[in-house]
Amino acid sequence: MATYNKITPEIAAQLRAVVGERRFFGKDDVDPNYSHDEMPIYGRYMPDAAVDAETTEEVSAIMKICSANKIPVTCRGAGTGLVGGCVPLAGGLVLCTRRMNKILAYDMDNLAVRLQPGVLLKDLAADALTHGLMYPPDPGEKTATVGGNISTNAGGMRAVKYGVTRDYVLALTVVLADGRVIELGKSVCKTSSGYSLLHLMIGSEGTLGIITEMTMKLIPSPICDVSCLVPFRDVESCIKFVPKIKLANLDPQSIEFMDADIVASSAAFTGSPIFPERVKNEDVGASVLVTFVGSGEDELDQKMIRLGRIAKEADALDVLVVATSSNKKSVWAARSGFLTAIEADTKLIDEMDVVVPVDKIPAFLIHIRSLGEENGIRIRNFGHAGDGNLHIYCCSDDLEEDEFKRRVKIIMDKAYAKCAELEGQVSGEHSIGHAKMVYLRESVGEDVFGLMGEIKKVFDPDCILNPGKVCDVSLTGREGRRQPC
Amino acid sequence: MLKILVCVKQIPDVDLVKMDPETGNLIRTGVPTLTNPLDLNALEAAVQVKERLGGRITLITMGPPTAESTLRECLAVGGDEAVLISGRPFGGADTLSTSYAIVKAADMKGKFDLIFCGKESLDGATGQMASQLAERFNASQISCCCGIEEVKDGKIRAARTLETGIELVEATLPCLITVEKDKFCGRLPSLDNYLAAKKAPITVFTENDIDGLDLQKIGVPGSGTIVPKIYPPELPEPGQIIRTGSVRTDVARLMELLAGKAAL
Amino acid sequence: MRKSDYQNIWVYIEHDGKSAAPVGLELCCELRKLCGKTGDRLYAVILGRLPGEEIEKVRECGVDGIIQVSGTGYEAFNIDAWTNAFTVLSRKYKPSAIFVGGTIDGRDFAPRFAVRLDTGCTSDAMELDYDPETGDIQFIEPAVGGKIMAVITVPVMRPQIGTIRPGTFQYAPTGRKAEIEYIEEKIDFDPAAIRCRRVGFIPDESDPELDIANADCIVCVGNGLKDSEHLERYRRLAGLLGGKIGCTRPLCDRGILPSKLQIGQSGVMVKPKLYLSFGVSGAVNHTAGVDADLFIAVDKNPDAQIFSYCDYGIVGDMDEVCDELIARLSARKE
Repeated sequence: MATYNKITPEIAAQLRAVVGERRFFGKDDVDPNYSHDEMPIYGRYMPDAAVDAETTEEVSAIMKICSANKIPVTCRGAGTGLVGGCVPLAGGLVLCTRRMNKILAYDMDNLAVRLQPGVLLKDLAADALTHGLMYPPDPGEKTATVGGNISTNAGGMRAVKYGVTRDYVLALTVVLADGRVIELGKSVCKTSSGYSLLHLMIGSEGTLGIITEMTMKLIPSPICDVSCLVPFRDVESCIKFVPKIKLANLDPQSIEFMDADIVASSAAFTGSPIFPERVKNEDVGASVLVTFVGSGEDELDQKMIRLGRIAKEADALDVLVVATSSNKKSVWAARSGFLTAIEADTKLIDEMDVVVPVDKIPAFLIHIRSLGEENGIRIRNFGHAGDGNLHIYCCSDDLEEDEFKRRVKIIMDKAYAKCAELEGQVSGEHSIGHAKMVYLRESVGEDVFGLMGEIKKVFDPDCILNPGKVCDVSLTGREGRRQPC
Repeated sequence: MLKILVCVKQIPDVDLVKMDPETGNLIRTGVPTLTNPLDLNALEAAVQVKERLGGRITLITMGPPTAESTLRECLAVGGDEAVLISGRPFGGADTLSTSYAIVKAADMKGKFDLIFCGKESLDGATGQMASQLAERFNASQISCCCGIEEVKDGKIRAARTLETGIELVEATLPCLITVEKDKFCGRLPSLDNYLAAKKAPITVFTENDIDGLDLQKIGVPGSGTIVPKIYPPELPEPGQIIRTGSVRTDVARLMELLAGKAAL
Repeated sequence: MRKSDYQNIWVYIEHDGKSAAPVGLELCCELRKLCGKTGDRLYAVILGRLPGEEIEKVRECGVDGIIQVSGTGYEAFNIDAWTNAFTVLSRKYKPSAIFVGGTIDGRDFAPRFAVRLDTGCTSDAMELDYDPETGDIQFIEPAVGGKIMAVITVPVMRPQIGTIRPGTFQYAPTGRKAEIEYIEEKIDFDPAAIRCRRVGFIPDESDPELDIANADCIVCVGNGLKDSEHLERYRRLAGLLGGKIGCTRPLCDRGILPSKLQIGQSGVMVKPKLYLSFGVSGAVNHTAGVDADLFIAVDKNPDAQIFSYCDYGIVGDMDEVCDELIARLSARKE
């Protein structure tokens, strides 16, 4: 059981001396939003103090103070997480990286960029484009920080072609729990040099160290792109189409899945029915949105023609082209707005972000749907069909919070069990935080979960880094854990 | 069979047009173009009428040769043929001379029962073209249309969104219609149509191809208005910017400053 | 055509048979000033019957004359009779300029009779001036998304025709002239020749939230808004201030708010006591529509043009500032 100390006026003074008056916030001045991320349903916990760090040196000095005094430190970026990852369960200090938002240097010879962790994903993407480069990972939440993306190994829509955040991290500067600064990785593409602590750090959700600088790999920006929306009568035939796209060697950049329910929610919400609900006088059950990139229009036309051919064989209702800038804008605005559209007509939501083998998607969705019906909970879902990553949302509608949570617990327990049965993973890209810890434990088993705990102890023996997250069970007995506010 | 004309326009992406601070001219080179979004709503309305009642849709635009891509985009969505009016003498036209050129060129394709056009273009934004085309086509006119009930016996019944409610109207054909964008959201083209549109023939009319065209009525000579001067907007003196270091204290300071005012 | 043959400025008085629409009166007031520069006489043109007390309001705006048109075809607005009346009147009296309120009806028929008269027409000018050298009115307005101001003239043809949005100019009557000419014209238009007629009308259920033209306090949200999920806090702020929500064009284009809430040159003109803008960059075609006693701007871009228009500005995250304002205002109310 971890025991922590309070931030006394003396400790506060030391912290204030590191960052200065303006970037230190005592208990009464902490932004109340720091008590939660995008999922306040998992509980709100206020820290005792917060600091806005600006440099590696400051973070190091802060960690020295906190480790010497056993003060828990929870690192926070933009607070856009979905699993309570940046929520200070044990109080203590929130270390916010939002002011570490500088893009430091481009290396045009090695196609890399060095930046601070608080740079927002959308800002990196836009800035890279001005250099003719693209940052390939494209998680849905564009206002997340890149540091947060690394900490959760965020994925996104383009993972089908380019992989996930992990694949683009070349090097990290990390401050350890005791304040030491280490460098992991190098700006090279290959390495075969001992245990990869770099890859251990990626996806560790601020439990092993604090990332203060990173070098990310970039690629030349594709010259042109086009998307096709392929509508089907039902979910099964739609999902069966996904491997065929890959097998046809079409190398899509993304394959997004949407069923009739989410399309209807989106149309009602945006008022712009860009995704058709009926095609050729038939109801659309589900569609995939396939994106291709290439070096010229002819190349893309050829890919679309081949896509059209296999779509016909797969009994698709049609193939619709998204080629003009206005249509691209509308389609991606609607696609990016799915979560918002879901949130718009319900009081509360809870979500899961499982990954299952692509061919198991229909089985999983059918199971989820029946769980929703059994328990009187409306379910909405969409996802990255190309990699089996599904975002599933339980909507409370008008249910009271306690009753909603009770029913959702039943659904989640059964759904994660089903996911395990189908050989799936607990989280594709939202990670574990504290909300999904029990399901991680069930999913990986005691041996693996125990090893994770041992590794945590090596890096952070006093357990001051983001306590109660991923594999740290020390707060699960509620001792040491704050009362939610 | 209904003969339907849809008037469209290719415009520069106004968000990306800049003004040369030295010369005061607009920099349009290299600025991406797009089809005026409201014209696509008009096209959608036309396609819906065609799907319901049958008909043939002719697309028409006036502009440089690049405007061809706008016509192809519209062909893919539901046009049957396309006309591009292009040539230097047409350049610099305002709505008075543009409407003249379009109607003269459209006459070459026969008489139309229904004419659709966008409510306004995002670049010029005068909103005058619809009325002026209607006048020159000697057509009745339904603006702000939010629904088309029926077209028969030389008449159209439709609904309009007015400032205070929905008006139902009956008008004689030919009729020119502009639509409410929310009611006629554009559709995505089917792949077959998209590919076919790339190869479709496009009729190009120069000033020499249009019967009875009065060269004094097109381009700059035919325009009623000119723009003798453009200049950057004059900015007033900046207001007082509150900078105290944090949002909390900024807002506190603002509240202090406002305390004396009646407004809050 | 000799330009000097064309004299006097006309304003069309739109009405519904009961009262005159404000825009006609606003135009009379503004053009009274312009006539001072041009030396023209100012005439109000009324089609169909308008009660006497409403005509009195027109007189108070300093007109030199009133042209009252009667005859068949004017029972309810229709483009055909209106276009015809203005064509006939204009050919007979040769006015130098005709101004029409930029309502739906005004924008429908004014460009139409401009074509019939073969003359130039402008819309949505924000300012009017006169060039004594050319004798032309200068219609000044933001163009190309507000990036530039354009001066538009009708250099050769007459009359010069302009539609002007409601609320562009102030209704500030200067009082009646000692002598006001009254011209009655009978122009019959065959009702059978009216090509488009009303067969039904369903009035909107009036939603007071959508009527922002006369609101005393407006919280205006611009393209800086992340998504509609983030809109709720601005509604709360507006609620706390007893005000209403408005927006800029991109938010309507994004489908986040209805176009009736769009403030600016091509939307609604507003004149609130207090105006707070959040995430509005400050393009002229928006700010031209705002006439506020007290203007507060919040935007994260310190170079945003909006700060040139505000009385007080805060550079920062719009949501954070809004939340803080809500916190302080609700604390004060408790």
